[in-house]
Amino acid sequence: MIAAPLERVVRVFARPAPWWSNISAVAARELRDAVRARWFLLYTLAFAGLGLGISYISAAGSGAAGLSGYGRTTAGLINLVLLVVPLMALTAGAGSIAPDRERGMLSYLLAQSVSRWEVLLGKYLGLSLALLACICLGLGVCAGVLALTGAGTSTDARSLLWLGGLAFGLALGMLSIGMLVSVLAHKGSVATGTAVFLWLLMVFASDLGVMAGVLALRMRIETLLAVGLANPLQVFKMWSLHAIDASLDVLGSVGLYAADTYPHGLAWMFAASLAAWAVVPLVVAGLVFSRRSGV
Amino acid sequence: MNPSRFIMGLLGALVLPCGAPAQPPGAGGVSPLASRIAAAAPGDTIEVGPGTYPGRLVIDKAVRLVARPGPDRPMLDAQGYGDAVEIRAENVELRGFIIERTGSELDGENVGVRVLANGAVIQDNELRDVLFGVDCKAALRCVIRNNVIGAKDLDIARRGDAIRLWRSDGTLIEGNTIRDGRDSILWYSKGVIVRNNLAERCRYGFHLMYSNDVTIEGNTLRANSVGIYFMYSTGVTVRNNIIDRNRGPSGYGIGLKDTDAFVIENNILSGNRVGMYLDNSPVVRTNRVLIARNTIAVNDVGMQFLPSVKGNTLTGNTMLDNFEQISVLGRGDLSDNEFDLDGAGNFWGDYAGYDADHDGVGDTEYESQTLFENLMDREPKLRLLMFSPVQQAIEFVGRALPAIRPEPKFSDLYPLMRPAGATLVAPARAGGGNIWIAAAALLGVPSMIVGFAFADRLLARPAARRNCPAMGGATA
Repeated sequence: MIAAPLERVVRVFARPAPWWSNISAVAARELRDAVRARWFLLYTLAFAGLGLGISYISAAGSGAAGLSGYGRTTAGLINLVLLVVPLMALTAGAGSIAPDRERGMLSYLLAQSVSRWEVLLGKYLGLSLALLACICLGLGVCAGVLALTGAGTSTDARSLLWLGGLAFGLALGMLSIGMLVSVLAHKGSVATGTAVFLWLLMVFASDLGVMAGVLALRMRIETLLAVGLANPLQVFKMWSLHAIDASLDVLGSVGLYAADTYPHGLAWMFAASLAAWAVVPLVVAGLVFSRRSGV
Repeated sequence: MNPSRFIMGLLGALVLPCGAPAQPPGAGGVSPLASRIAAAAPGDTIEVGPGTYPGRLVIDKAVRLVARPGPDRPMLDAQGYGDAVEIRAENVELRGFIIERTGSELDGENVGVRVLANGAVIQDNELRDVLFGVDCKAALRCVIRNNVIGAKDLDIARRGDAIRLWRSDGTLIEGNTIRDGRDSILWYSKGVIVRNNLAERCRYGFHLMYSNDVTIEGNTLRANSVGIYFMYSTGVTVRNNIIDRNRGPSGYGIGLKDTDAFVIENNILSGNRVGMYLDNSPVVRTNRVLIARNTIAVNDVGMQFLPSVKGNTLTGNTMLDNFEQISVLGRGDLSDNEFDLDGAGNFWGDYAGYDADHDGVGDTEYESQTLFENLMDREPKLRLLMFSPVQQAIEFVGRALPAIRPEPKFSDLYPLMRPAGATLVAPARAGGGNIWIAAAALLGVPSMIVGFAFADRLLARPAARRNCPAMGGATA
């Protein structure tokens, strides 16, 4: 149980508040459930496997001319994270409340001396730790392959660590949305279906919309940047490139505009956007969940 | 009196006194070496011992001014005002000095070494805190060799050119190290050889304007805005250069505008925003130009063409891991360029064909025909969506539906199966140990998390079940 060892650490500083004990207990249960559950194993395998393929191919390709795979692995991994992590986090969030409600588990849980906020936050904490484990495992396998083949450089090392952190930031936002869906939906299957639909919307439809906007409406680069900053997936991508390459040249005129106009504020804007996506849906979910009569 | 002249005069009277900065006391005076030059005969060698020689030095006799060998080099210090050295006589040699602290006036073109006569040799000097470095004006057959040229810490546009030639034919620029300067620029200078120099963190590594028959070889140009840019020049040879990570809004490794009769071979262009950029080059389509055996790798865009470009021949180049291999700005194709010579095409890292007859040449042609790239070339703002999954989705749709498949930009009929371009000693990006640390850290996190989750089970210790029994055991 996570609560016990964690509490031992916490107790060094202060007696844990009862709400923390509750949250950590729910989190621990959620985390253990996740580790046992098939979705976690499946996503971890898929993520690690695809990451392995990407790093192996980039390592092999760059060897031909004696060039290091400058940014190539990273680009592939950014792509992979953009596909897999939102799906993972959205479905994990969607599966957090609604199926428990269906099975009657939620009524049982809420009959204990835990508040609804504690249940929600506990589940959020547990699932986010599970997602962090999954992301780190996937990227860790890539790092291992790069290290073993000798193709890894310190640039790769730094970019993998950045990617891990930023992918986790993206996962927090997506998990938050997923949990909101789960609170609102009455059935587990509805929640999961909605989550997959949202995934499709965020990964493909929003970018297609941007493309249409650029081609048909001749959107200005300021507008494009604002649209990009509102989209957590684009923020993850831009922040990764910015952190790893210290420039956004790769993204053309919008990237150059962003880096030139906000040379210092850009990272803060990225952080604010990701934080908003993590906090706002979760708070809405909490408000809905705590004010609902019955489960 | 002409009224406009009157106004100009009035303005001049108002502006001039404040325009020129006040001369600091003692600065801008005559260098103490002037008397030794005055005493020397043409052809003499003047050996200068260590020490600081303040003021401006004018060399108006054909003398060799040489630093005495030793640990301390003599310092020619312009004290932040005007020029440091001016060479007015032919066949002067200036060797082994530290030349520093020129003025900062761009309109005064304050310069480390101004060369106004033929045959000067500027060698083994270190120029630091100078606005312009070496400035040759109508000075033929000079040699600028093994100097280290720095710059002033000013906004890049307010800096001066590290090296500037103006109508200075037959100059040799060799073995210099140029850092942080604005440009190294050749104006109207014929038959110049630029060899084995290093330029980094400049604006333009080398920039040619109307300079014909120039050879640029063995240079390393990295982290500039632009590596080499050619404008209105004919008969240039570029070979064996390493052109790495020139980025930013310009960000060209090699750029050619209205340049003709060029040979670009055996260069390595890596990590640039655009490896090679061609704008109306060659000018005359029948002029034979050659782009051969270059390695163009890991750039954002390997080669970028304006749609009007025709008459290039590409052979034996290695196009590897560029985010976009060939881009045609706007719409158009490159059908008037040759992508092979005598049955030898280029190596394309993304070639998916095969070589059944083992002759080293792929049996199917390499075609660059991707929908997303076409859209990006048409509307560069779409580059924002690079690396998004939608990019692959669009490519997939483009491949699956022939109706919206774009016209190929070009096709290489004889794609090579193996890279033939210049091989690179990988740029030092050391620190392979760090990747092990990253791997350990990344794999450590999940094991810790899982460890925490199952700590109680692993330790087989009955945990104090707080609050609710349901959470402890109901999950199995």
